[in-house]
Amino acid sequence: MKFLCLECNTAMEFKETTTPDQGSLTAIFECPDCFAEFAMHMNPWETQMLKSLNVQLGGRSEAAQPMEMVQSFLSQKNPNNLTSEAPVGSTEDGGKCPFASAVTEAFQEQEPTGPVWTPEALERLERVPSFVRSMAKASIEEFARENGHPEITTEVMDTARGNFGM
Amino acid sequence: MKTYKDLPADGGSNIVGQVTQQVNRLQQRLASVRHTVAIMSGKGGVGKSSVTANLASVLGLRGHNVGVIDADINGPSIAKMMGVRGQRIDYGDDGVKPAISPLGVKVMSMDLFLKDDETPVLWESQTQKDAFTWRGTMEMSALREFLSDTEWGSLDYLLIDLPPGTDRLPNLVDLLPNLGGTVVVTIPSGVSQLVVKKSLTMAKKLLNAPVIGIVENMAAYVCADCGKTEELFPSGNTEEMASQFEVSLLGKIPFDPRISIAADEGSVFVDQYRDTPAGQTFFSITDEIRMFFESQI
Ligand SMILES: Nc1ncnc2c1ncn2[C@@H]1O[C@H](COP(=O)(O)OP(=O)(O)OP(=O)(O)O)[C@@H](O)[C@H]1O
Ligand code: SF4
Ligand SMILES: [Mg+2]
Ligand SMILES: [Zn+2]
Repeated sequence: MKFLCLECNTAMEFKETTTPDQGSLTAIFECPDCFAEFAMHMNPWETQMLKSLNVQLGGRSEAAQPMEMVQSFLSQKNPNNLTSEAPVGSTEDGGKCPFASAVTEAFQEQEPTGPVWTPEALERLERVPSFVRSMAKASIEEFARENGHPEITTEVMDTARGNFGM
Repeated sequence: MKTYKDLPADGGSNIVGQVTQQVNRLQQRLASVRHTVAIMSGKGGVGKSSVTANLASVLGLRGHNVGVIDADINGPSIAKMMGVRGQRIDYGDDGVKPAISPLGVKVMSMDLFLKDDETPVLWESQTQKDAFTWRGTMEMSALREFLSDTEWGSLDYLLIDLPPGTDRLPNLVDLLPNLGGTVVVTIPSGVSQLVVKKSLTMAKKLLNAPVIGIVENMAAYVCADCGKTEELFPSGNTEEMASQFEVSLLGKIPFDPRISIAADEGSVFVDQYRDTPAGQTFFSITDEIRMFFESQI
C-alpha cells in the first residue's frame, strides 16, 4: 500500500503510529511537500496481524530481542525465565512497504476453526486412559469436523464412538 | 497522477524489511546445523513426541550434537519427556540458552515458557476469539523464534517434533527451506493409516525434502514378564503403505508401558532399557536415519 498526495503529486511518507485504541492501531502519513497529514485506522484484525508477525509499523529503532514475541504475547508465562537483560542488538535498516503483501501472506496462514469441547465432554475425555487419550481426542475432533459438528458434546462422542467401534 | 510504480518503494512501514531480517537471522542460525529432521504424522497421539525424544537421546548416546525443537506450540510435551521441564532458561550472548537434557540434548519448547503444567498456551489479544483466529500466525512466529533465537551452537542433528495434522506444513517450508528430511510416525491401525497416508501425500507435495521413512509405533505388545508378543491393532499394513509411497519402513516399535512411564518421569527410556525390543528398535531406527544422511555425502 502506498499513498499519494493528489495536491502535490508526491508520495506521502509514514510518520508515526499511535498506541492501539480498542484494538485498533492508527498510522499517520504526511506529504513532505505540503505537510498534509492523514490517519489510517487499522481494524483490530490488521492490528493483530502486525502483532502476530512481530513487526512494527515504521520499522524498529532496535533489533527485536530474542524470543520477543513469545515473551511479550504469552498471557501466563513462567516468571523465572529470561530475567536477565538481553544483550543489545544492532540496528538494521531497509525494507519497503507492501502492507498488502503482508496481509495476503497472513491470510494464507489462517487457522481452520476446530470444534469446541463442552465441559461435560471434556470431563468424559479425562476418563479415557491417558495413553490413548490424545488419540481418542484427535479422532473425535476429526469426526466432528467431518460431520459438521462445531461443538463436541457427549452425544457427539457417543456417535463418534459408534462410528469407530470403540 | 503518479502510479503505484512511480512512487518510491518505501511507503515507510518497513514490514517486509523486518520480515526479511527475520529470515536472515533464521538462516544464519541454521547454517551451523548439519541435518534438520521433522517428525510428523497426520494423526494425533501416535507417538511423535515419544519417538522424537528417544531418537534424540540415541543420537546423543551415539556422540552427536543434538537439538530438539518442540513445534507443537499448543500442546508441548517434549520438555517433560526429555526431563528438562522446570529448567530455567536465560539469555546468552547471542540469543536464549536452550534447556539441556541429562544426555546433553539441547531442547527448546513452549513448555519452558509456561508457568506450570496446567497453564494452556494463551496469547494476549483483544478477545479470546481474536486469539483463536490468530493462533496459527502466533504459533508460527513462536516457532521461528525457537529456531532462530536459541543458541543451538553447531549441531549434527536438529529434530523437530511437529504438531499433529498437516495444517502447518506450508509454513514449515517457509521456515525451513533446507529441511533434510521427514520421519512419518504411524500406528498399525487401519483408520490411523488412512490419515497418515493423506499426510504422506501432503508431505511429499508440500515439503522440499525427502521422506526418510516411516516408523510404526505401538506395533505390538511385548509382555515384560514372559516376553510374549500380542498384536494391538491388527487392521493396518505399514509394509504396504511404505511400498505404495516408495519410502522405507525404518522400524516397528512395540508397545511398552515403560516408554510412557519414562516419559512421565522425564527419564530416558532408551538409556535405561537399551536391551528391550523397543530400546533396540530405537537404536536401529536411529542408525537408519544416520545412514540416510551419511549415504548422501
Ligand atoms: N511404543 C509405545 N509404548 C507405550 N506407550 C507409548 C508408546 N509410544 C507412545 N506412547 C505413549 O502414548 C502417548 C502419546 O504419545 P506421544 O505424546 O508421543 O504422541 P504424539 O503423537 O506426540 O501426540 P500428540 O499428537 O498429542 O502430539 C504418551 O502417553 C506416550 O507415553
Ligand atoms: S503375555 Fe499376558 S498373560 Fe503372558 S505373562 Fe504377559 S501379561 Fe501375563
Ligand atoms: Mg506430541
Ligand atoms: Zn502535498
